[in-house]
Amino acid sequence: MTTATLSGRDAYKDELAKLAETEERIVCLEADLGGKNHPFQTRHPERFLNLGIAELAGVDIAAGLAEAGYVPFISTFAAFAALRAAESVKLSLGYMGKNVKLVAPYGGVSGGWFGTTHHALEDIAVIQSFQNIRIACPHGEEETRRVIREAAASTEPYYIRLSRNDAFESLARASASSCRELLVERGAVHGRAKLCLLSVGEQATELCKALTEQFESVVHAHACYVDSQSLKAYVEPLQSLADRFLVVEEHRATGGTASYLALIMPEHPVYSHNCGEQWPMYGGSHAEVLADLGFGLEPLRQQIQSLLGGSDDI
Amino acid sequence: MEQSISAYKVQELPPPSLADRAKEARKLIIDMAATPTGCHIGGSLSVIDLLIAAYAKYGHDTHSSIILSKGHAAAGLYAALYVYGILPSNPAESYGKQGSLYTGHPNHKLPGIPFATGSLGHGVAYAAGWALAQKLRGTEGLGIAIGGDGELQEGLIWETAQIVQAQSLSNFIYIVDCNGGQNDGYVDDISPIRNLKERFEAFGFAVREIDGHQHDAIFDAITPDGEKPIAILARTIKGKGVAALEGNPDAHYAKIPANLAKRWKVSLS
Repeated sequence: MTTATLSGRDAYKDELAKLAETEERIVCLEADLGGKNHPFQTRHPERFLNLGIAELAGVDIAAGLAEAGYVPFISTFAAFAALRAAESVKLSLGYMGKNVKLVAPYGGVSGGWFGTTHHALEDIAVIQSFQNIRIACPHGEEETRRVIREAAASTEPYYIRLSRNDAFESLARASASSCRELLVERGAVHGRAKLCLLSVGEQATELCKALTEQFESVVHAHACYVDSQSLKAYVEPLQSLADRFLVVEEHRATGGTASYLALIMPEHPVYSHNCGEQWPMYGGSHAEVLADLGFGLEPLRQQIQSLLGGSDDI
Repeated sequence: MEQSISAYKVQELPPPSLADRAKEARKLIIDMAATPTGCHIGGSLSVIDLLIAAYAKYGHDTHSSIILSKGHAAAGLYAALYVYGILPSNPAESYGKQGSLYTGHPNHKLPGIPFATGSLGHGVAYAAGWALAQKLRGTEGLGIAIGGDGELQEGLIWETAQIVQAQSLSNFIYIVDCNGGQNDGYVDDISPIRNLKERFEAFGFAVREIDGHQHDAIFDAITPDGEKPIAILARTIKGKGVAALEGNPDAHYAKIPANLAKRWKVSLS
């Protein structure tokens, strides 16, 4: 069992700095939110560029670097990456398919008390609608490191959604497997599951891990990639697990993973545990802000029980 | 390190003069205005001499990239690329038609066009990114953006200028086609760009002011100075070359009948 040592965004910085030891085309771009003592800056100062608070220009400049043969990783908070710079992402990564990797910490409401200006509950909907951009929501240090390696090795544009500073015990994933493969974290104990929980992102995955232990007829699958192509690839393995699905995702219902899965699996009921329609206007920790939005252990437990008809095994 | 540059660069310059090429390109622009869709003729005619001179000087240089940021002048870009042999087919024959890549704003699926532009401001940042790549790689390649004066109203331009200054991109050249017009009228009537020279100087650029229809002047101006990024304020005339269009703000977009196109082409001086 692997233990957690780093948050996703710290794992990103460290892994990218490691990769750059042997991949000279990698450049690391920041928009004044990379923090001090950035490991890439320390180890590769000539390829570390803090472009300042300029997200649109930053993404476009990354596209120019990619056109010239570099592999730029550019990072800023999810709200600014996916929303403020949306048109640059649409054109450079989506339409033109430039080999740019957009790394977005502060996904969902992981900014906690920083408030709505720093939250991104709409980013997956926005990025997914642009098409052709790989969207990864890794959980824990190991999966984050793998996603960064996969992004660096790929010529596809990437949007990588991370959280803030929380660190979680990494999921057990076979050493040779790609993060594009669905990970079945825990299977139903007695035969075919009555319900499959599909988790997206760190908080959702933690909730599902906790609750699957309590429901013997529920299986938990974790999806790291949630772009439309990846979701299409999940259909067959999902159907082998259960007939009904509850997607748990720190996002709006609109444009979330559940809505797309429902479109491509019309013969299966797809439900959603999401962050609802309210604005996260209150302070608190990440988990507390989620709780204010109705996203958490107890409401999810109730939703599962409701879907199981009150007959399951808690 | 290998570059992802498409194989589209200009052949060695054959004998025709820049004036001859510009005249040929203007005819093509007029032909595109005579298609069922029409085209942004005014800005295409104002920018064409800048494009012709820029491609003559750097079109053969695989380390340099020329990006038309004022993408509504796509007809001008297509015409320039065609007269240099970069585009294989006459754009006027299929401009705007169903199934044609000759769209009303530059299409990156075409040879010689690395970026789709037209949403204003982005092309300037793409060129800055290219310049940054060449600086990192240690080549003498340039990132050359050609934009409009109305386009300067976009915040992205100044966000990019800030980065160009901060990153000391002395291999970045920004040519502004100052034709004085924009979609809804004169720039001065809508949102004037005053003290433009001083603005660019404040962002650390060396500023050169030229006649944007004089090929020799353009050719000379598109030269890095080794110290600062360059802003070239090219004074141009919207609709240049067609008397009925010159200086007319209504010349921004036009769809004209074939007989008028024929007369305008004959009248080109």
